[in-house]
Amino acid sequence: MSHWTRKASPAIPRISLLWLLVAQALVILPHLAHLPGWISGLWLVCATWRIQVFRMRTSYPGGLTKAFMLLAAGVGVYASRGSLIGLDAGVALLIATFLLKLVELKTRRDALVLVFLGFFVVLTSYLFDDSLLAGVYSLLPVTALLAALIGLQQSGLSEKPWPTLRLAASLLLQAVPLMLVLFLLFPRLGPLWSVPMPGERGTTGLAESMSPGDIAELSQSSALAFRASFDGPVPPRPELYWRALTFEQFDGRRWSQLPEPPRAEPAWQAEGPALSYSIVMQPSGQPWLFALDTARTELEQTRQMGDFRLQRRRPVEQNLLYSVTSWPQARREPQASPRLGVALQLPADGNPRARRWAAQLGQRHDGNPQALVDDLLGHFAREAYFYTLKPPLAGDDTVDHFLFDSRRGFCAHYAGAMTFVLRAAGIPARVVAGYQGGELNPAGNYVLVHQFDAHAWVEYWLPGRGWVSVDPTFQVAPERIEQGLEQALPAEDAFRAGTALSPIRYRHVAWLNSLRLSWDSLNYAWQRKVLGYQGEAQLELLKGWLGQVNATRVALILVAALALLLGSLALLLLKPWKREHDPLLRLYQRFERLLAHHGLRRERGEGPLAFAERAAAALPAQAREINAFAQRFAWQRYAGTATDAAALRRVLKQLRRKLPQRRWWGAGALVRGTRREV
Amino acid sequence: MRTQLDSCLAAVNQVLLGKDRQVRLALACLLARGHLLLEDLPGMGKTTLSHTLARVLGLSYQRIQFTSDLLPGDILGTSVFNRESGQFIFHPGPIFAELVLADEINRATPKSQSALLEAMEEGQVTIEGATRPLPEPFFVIATQNPSCQGGTFALPESQLDRFLMRVSLGYPARSAEKALLQGEARRDLLPRLEPILDHAALARIQAEVPAVHASDAVIDYVLRLAEATRTQPAFALGLSPRGSLALLAAARAWAMLAGRDYVIPEDVQAVLPSVAGHRLRDQADPAGHGGGALVQWLLREVTPF
Repeated sequence: MSHWTRKASPAIPRISLLWLLVAQALVILPHLAHLPGWISGLWLVCATWRIQVFRMRTSYPGGLTKAFMLLAAGVGVYASRGSLIGLDAGVALLIATFLLKLVELKTRRDALVLVFLGFFVVLTSYLFDDSLLAGVYSLLPVTALLAALIGLQQSGLSEKPWPTLRLAASLLLQAVPLMLVLFLLFPRLGPLWSVPMPGERGTTGLAESMSPGDIAELSQSSALAFRASFDGPVPPRPELYWRALTFEQFDGRRWSQLPEPPRAEPAWQAEGPALSYSIVMQPSGQPWLFALDTARTELEQTRQMGDFRLQRRRPVEQNLLYSVTSWPQARREPQASPRLGVALQLPADGNPRARRWAAQLGQRHDGNPQALVDDLLGHFAREAYFYTLKPPLAGDDTVDHFLFDSRRGFCAHYAGAMTFVLRAAGIPARVVAGYQGGELNPAGNYVLVHQFDAHAWVEYWLPGRGWVSVDPTFQVAPERIEQGLEQALPAEDAFRAGTALSPIRYRHVAWLNSLRLSWDSLNYAWQRKVLGYQGEAQLELLKGWLGQVNATRVALILVAALALLLGSLALLLLKPWKREHDPLLRLYQRFERLLAHHGLRRERGEGPLAFAERAAAALPAQAREINAFAQRFAWQRYAGTATDAAALRRVLKQLRRKLPQRRWWGAGALVRGTRREV
Repeated sequence: MRTQLDSCLAAVNQVLLGKDRQVRLALACLLARGHLLLEDLPGMGKTTLSHTLARVLGLSYQRIQFTSDLLPGDILGTSVFNRESGQFIFHPGPIFAELVLADEINRATPKSQSALLEAMEEGQVTIEGATRPLPEPFFVIATQNPSCQGGTFALPESQLDRFLMRVSLGYPARSAEKALLQGEARRDLLPRLEPILDHAALARIQAEVPAVHASDAVIDYVLRLAEATRTQPAFALGLSPRGSLALLAAARAWAMLAGRDYVIPEDVQAVLPSVAGHRLRDQADPAGHGGGALVQWLLREVTPF
């Protein structure tokens, strides 16, 4: 039997091979960005090898060669990724084996393995990029894989690859309603195990500490930080201070957050009108979230820290959707607490001029901290201070140098210096880092906040009033706050907002800008409505539809929707109303379908006997049955004799028994008739 | 009856080599009581075919060479005054034969052409007030030369319609031509051929053609074909009801030649090019021929089911 199976094991049809190669190229294309370079070389080698095998120019590699190739691929992944586990290395290894499988692609079974592996690799690409573009793109490899799968079932004699592709595309199209139902109803299971996210992504964003140049550097990046959409009208720009974290420790040069951020929830009372909005955050690699003051969110595993920031237990490694309610006029920690001492910390020495000046100010406004702050802000506004991304280098006493010598700086300089002076004058203060403003997208009525919107400002504490935010940069460069960085620094080409290819560089070209904003709005909707449709959002929608949501109910609805869908699809495809009423013709249609499975289709104008003659020539082993059926059919239909469908059905059954069985698995098409002959 | 027809075909095929299909069509045409138009270049065996048919079927044979000065009287016959009896005596023209070969019919004037065509349609001729029946069976094979059209009078559609079929013989296959060159002159074989059918047998067979069963399904197919010629924009002229009648009659005769007593779609398809080709005109070229391509379209696109 074994020699038998080997003999019968079907080769891979040409069309299927073609689509497999195309699909492979499409599958690995989005991965190329994060794969080691040699992978594309490996693909070229494997594909060329397999094509040469198909053209009978070379043979399949031997076992030893294959083992060597596998080993080399493993070593290659280890060499370029430093490990064989972890997401990056795992995907690289998966793709390497996906490519290597090509050179031992002999039977239908191998091709099936390759196709299903391909589907899996398509899925892994979502771990790296789940944008709208990536989602739409993945339709291409999926269609090609489907075409390969269909091609496997087709005769090796088929010539044209396009009908196969068309069939695959129409299959995919037919799956759309099914997909919608599953998308809407299928419960989102929490992760069964946590997938390590792709690391070393080089995400730009706010860091855990800040030296004066850091934010200026960030302003070179046009990467998106997050998008926010408000339930009501979008507040004016100067009110959009997105808090990320606070810096409460100064070592004379760097501001940094406390080594142990205060975990206790601060005391605050909501006051004034509330703002509610939702934010879709780009991956930042950091645990803190962005929100306007003073914020509360329902997001799980997230809490408000002692410095009023929102922080999640795990860093944000993927797009994150959360909704927030903020009370901008809330009263924050109006009662003095021992924690305030931290907000007065200063290095033991350094910056003597600033300290002296602070002492003078303190004496001038003794017991009236608010007056002192106003005086300080007035100083920034009155004196010749400049807002620039390229301040001159400072010596050891950075605050002194900035305040009294150069008088040029970026928001971090102003915020750092002001906090220093306030602390030196005995007023608790800290630097707040985050983003300011954002770009309003009229297409979707939401705010886009980029990395170049990064900003730093000051918070000081007044007894009875609590923490108050103030922005010294506003005194120097109000246009930064009111219009944005670009307007504040028109002359400085240091503000580049990304590379020459970045669309944000061409904001002044009106149509390009509106195109960019529309595209972004689309992407945002994708993030919010499609990727964000899970957990709460799903539950809420289902509640709106079903009233009460419980597992039985959802399961019932799911099954009913699927049944309805499949039923209507079946109706549409089988068209029972178009069913032939003449029993003879119905039998003939079955005959036609039977032969169509073997690649024989009646031409439109072909008569029954002419077709039978052609079919008999193509299937000589079954010629007798084919002719018998056609003769009998013609006789019954045209000779005016009484219809005897049963007799015709018998002949058809004989033919069916005689025709080779089409099996897609393993041994493939075994012809019963030929088995007897063998 | 089947054997008789088969031996008729075999006998004709002995003389006209390698033209099995055309011979069969010609015989089917005759069995369906239709007239045949042979369109081909000179020397392709048109005359041989008609002469052989006449011989095999035991029919009397006359040939009329059509020329531009041919008069209707030359076809139909004239009355000549007999001095002895003092009366006009009718001398029948060549039309009074059972199988008439009208050679190069398009060389004659329309007046002479119509004399022949009227006779074909009516089965009788009226000369000098007296109506004289034509012999029974009466079968006309007309030929025309498609290439030399100078000084000819092309048959108008209405008259082409009188012919049941138009057949081209075409060049013989290589092997057939070799046999032709090796063998003796074909015309010499003719006198040696024995008639296979007599008048009675032929009449009986002709009477049986309409009895061949044409089922609803086949009639529907013929209707679909006719309808396609009338509705499709490529057709300048549709098939007339006479055309669809002709199609069915020819298909019946063809089925009979195949030894079947019922018509199948393949029979219709076999005779369609000959029956419909000269009745159809391409919209793009309404004056010329073009029926061939249209017929191929019909065969390809109209489903027999």
